[in-house]
Amino acid sequence: MAAAEAALAALPRLGLGLGLRSVHFEAILAGAAAGLWFEAISENFMDSGGRPRAVIRAVAERHPLALHGVSLSIGGADPLDFGYLAALKRLADEVRPAWVSDHLCWTGVNGRNSHDLLPMPLTEESLAHVAARVRQAQDYLERPLILENPSSYVRFAESTLDEPAFLSALSEQTGCGLLLDVNNVYVTCFNAGADPLAYLDAFPCERVVQMHLAGHQDLGTHLVDTHDRPVRAEVWELFRIAWARTGGASTLLEWDDHIPDLDGCLAELRKAERYMAGGAAPPAAANAGAEDGDAEGISNPVGFIVAGAMDGQRWAAA
Amino acid sequence: MSALAAAQGRMLDALARPGADPAAAQALFAGGGRLGPAAGLAVYQRGYVLRLAACLGEQFPALRHALGGALFDDFAADYLRDCPPQRHTLHDLGRRFPAWLAANRPEREAPEPWADFMIDLAAFEYAVFTLFDAPGAEGGPLAAADTPDERLRLQPAFALGAYGFPVAAYHHAVRRGEAPAPPDAAPSHVALVRTDYVVRTVPLTATHHAFLARMQAGGSVQAALAEICARFQLDPAEARRSWRSPQGSRARWLDCGFFIAA
Repeated sequence: MAAAEAALAALPRLGLGLGLRSVHFEAILAGAAAGLWFEAISENFMDSGGRPRAVIRAVAERHPLALHGVSLSIGGADPLDFGYLAALKRLADEVRPAWVSDHLCWTGVNGRNSHDLLPMPLTEESLAHVAARVRQAQDYLERPLILENPSSYVRFAESTLDEPAFLSALSEQTGCGLLLDVNNVYVTCFNAGADPLAYLDAFPCERVVQMHLAGHQDLGTHLVDTHDRPVRAEVWELFRIAWARTGGASTLLEWDDHIPDLDGCLAELRKAERYMAGGAAPPAAANAGAEDGDAEGISNPVGFIVAGAMDGQRWAAA
Repeated sequence: MSALAAAQGRMLDALARPGADPAAAQALFAGGGRLGPAAGLAVYQRGYVLRLAACLGEQFPALRHALGGALFDDFAADYLRDCPPQRHTLHDLGRRFPAWLAANRPEREAPEPWADFMIDLAAFEYAVFTLFDAPGAEGGPLAAADTPDERLRLQPAFALGAYGFPVAAYHHAVRRGEAPAPPDAAPSHVALVRTDYVVRTVPLTATHHAFLARMQAGGSVQAALAEICARFQLDPAEARRSWRSPQGSRARWLDCGFFIAA
């Protein structure tokens, strides 16, 4: 625990970064992203023996890198998957990330995997369960875990704690760090009919190592965490507040569907600089480009790397 | 079973089989938000199928083209119900899909060729996908023209396929953005090989396929030549000339990166 605390305090402030997606591989490796740090989806690379593994090695040689998992299932009822942790550790030892993160969630149970980030019942019992597993994972990985608040659409009836209180207790008990996704805060609070500013007031910002920005879909009745459009004005306002309260935590833009080219993503990311400088609340027009449409998008889309995989093919003459 | 395991099991069942447990949402989730328990659960239910079907479609792009998006998504939903994901990696998602298609073909009583084509195409596309991310030979040298036959071994990122339809040509036409018609049945043999992280499809004859299959099983070049001579009643001297000639199999396959030196 003391070692985890010390390791947490030593983590760097990386400034602005971007989620590493296959559509940008060539541009990044060509040097078009100088000064940025990247966050890679661990599962896209940890079992790879092909190009993804070569790409992440090359990116890690040129840029600071964090590993962001979506399948650790730290809140799951199944035993921790040490095969998964072993593959993650091998990747981490190879690319030496600034930190390794995942989500306060479960992804599967009884040997089945949903490939979604599912919400926890937030109780004292589940807090003890998750805390024990965080300690196990940290001991195995020999580094602190950084855990993210997920977006959610339901709240378990048996929950007795709110999410900031749960994460606060979890980080105090285990020494883990936190990844504050301000878009998830907004989506979760809107759907729950809660106040996102009150959420931020209760959140242990001193434990925040990293923040996430992303776009969401507004369907009127509810919001869906789609990562497929620009960051909304309401989320920028939360970011402005959170960035100051966290003392300038490393900040990363996630974009997982309808992904613009690298310049388009960088233009969106650099909007953050205005709010990091304490800029005023964004104008209403700031939601331009975040149109919603009628059909509900996919929540928690995965940055699946198959599309890039299947592009690298040739039909050779025999 | 703990309360946590029970709650998670019930929620996951509700995602994988919407409608099977209509009381799940009210039993598991609190009210009071903008979304009620059922509407909140429905977001996860929709996301579960859409997310996984989209990933499956990316693993089987030509099959999706051949079936059409709507029918492919119907098959995907049924497959996900019968074969829910088991591993942490989405790369594993389509592993059981070709076998599931074969086991669930709609006309087992009187087989239709189109179903055979879809099953073959699925098997080919998963082989391509698997090879893309398999351990390969990129970290070391490939065999060269002067590597003795005795030292030739197939490289790790290599696979063979034998199909009842020209599935590789169909797949590549779809990947080029064309809209090919489903082909007629015709035996098809291919090698898949990856060099410099690019997967290539190399058409083979049945004889070449048998030769390479023997090597894949651990046989030497000599053993592979002996096998095809016996199986296809070839003259050994002619087979060896064909193997060693300047435009022969050996030279072409070295160019394609089939071999490393043991």
